[in-house]
Amino acid sequence: MTGEIALLLSAALLVTVISALLSRSMSITLIMMFYASLVLGVIFTIYQGILVGLLHIVTFAGAVSVMLLTVVLMTGQTDLDIGKRPLALLLGTVTILVVAAASYSLFSTVPNGVQQAQSMNILSFVWTYRPWDLLILVIIFAGAMTAVVNLLSKEE
Amino acid sequence: MITDQSVFITTAAVLVFLGVFAMSYSRNLLKTIISFQVVVFGANLGLFASGLGTSSSMMANTLVLFSIVVGGSVEAVGLALIVLVHKKYGTLDPWKIRRLRN
Repeated sequence: MTGEIALLLSAALLVTVISALLSRSMSITLIMMFYASLVLGVIFTIYQGILVGLLHIVTFAGAVSVMLLTVVLMTGQTDLDIGKRPLALLLGTVTILVVAAASYSLFSTVPNGVQQAQSMNILSFVWTYRPWDLLILVIIFAGAMTAVVNLLSKEE
Repeated sequence: MITDQSVFITTAAVLVFLGVFAMSYSRNLLKTIISFQVVVFGANLGLFASGLGTSSSMMANTLVLFSIVVGGSVEAVGLALIVLVHKKYGTLDPWKIRRLRN
């Protein structure tokens, strides 16, 4: 059973993302990105990352989807011209297949890198200063929101 | 042998490259932001998968949390910039915007 659920969820994630990127209609793109966010949130939740999964769903399937929808409605960009560049598409597909094969062969044989890093006591050092990490998160979020407000309230 | 970790890390690598490729390929700034979101998804999945089945899974979760907040913030600022660009130039095609600027 190991790996089958992961394969299924990964396939669902890839299908939704690829159909979002290749779609010519903005509404289909938004719907597919919404589903991709949900699938990724479900992956996190199933594999013991409940808090991260819920936060991911709230942030990307909730807030970011609504922001994207608002911008699409404001700008009126409902149809997308993705162009006809078959050579670029072919090159991209080949590159992505090579990356998939290389990363699979690499990460299925090499022992876990994070466990090795932990022996060097780096992770425990970072874990000790976790409140600072949360403070940085709050500062980043506040800075981003200030930037958005500043940008949108600028008079011409 | 197929493990959950190898499957997720492979998917993450594919997502990152897919996003970068789509970012360079697209001729619409909205599509660029969506491609950036795909890159963030790949990064999140990779970080999460690196801690699967190890004693450091909580640390991986913390890094994913960080990545989610940073990704969401960058995307919000990018969307605000897109609104401004559309207001000023009337288009979201980077090639046309460059021509209009000159």
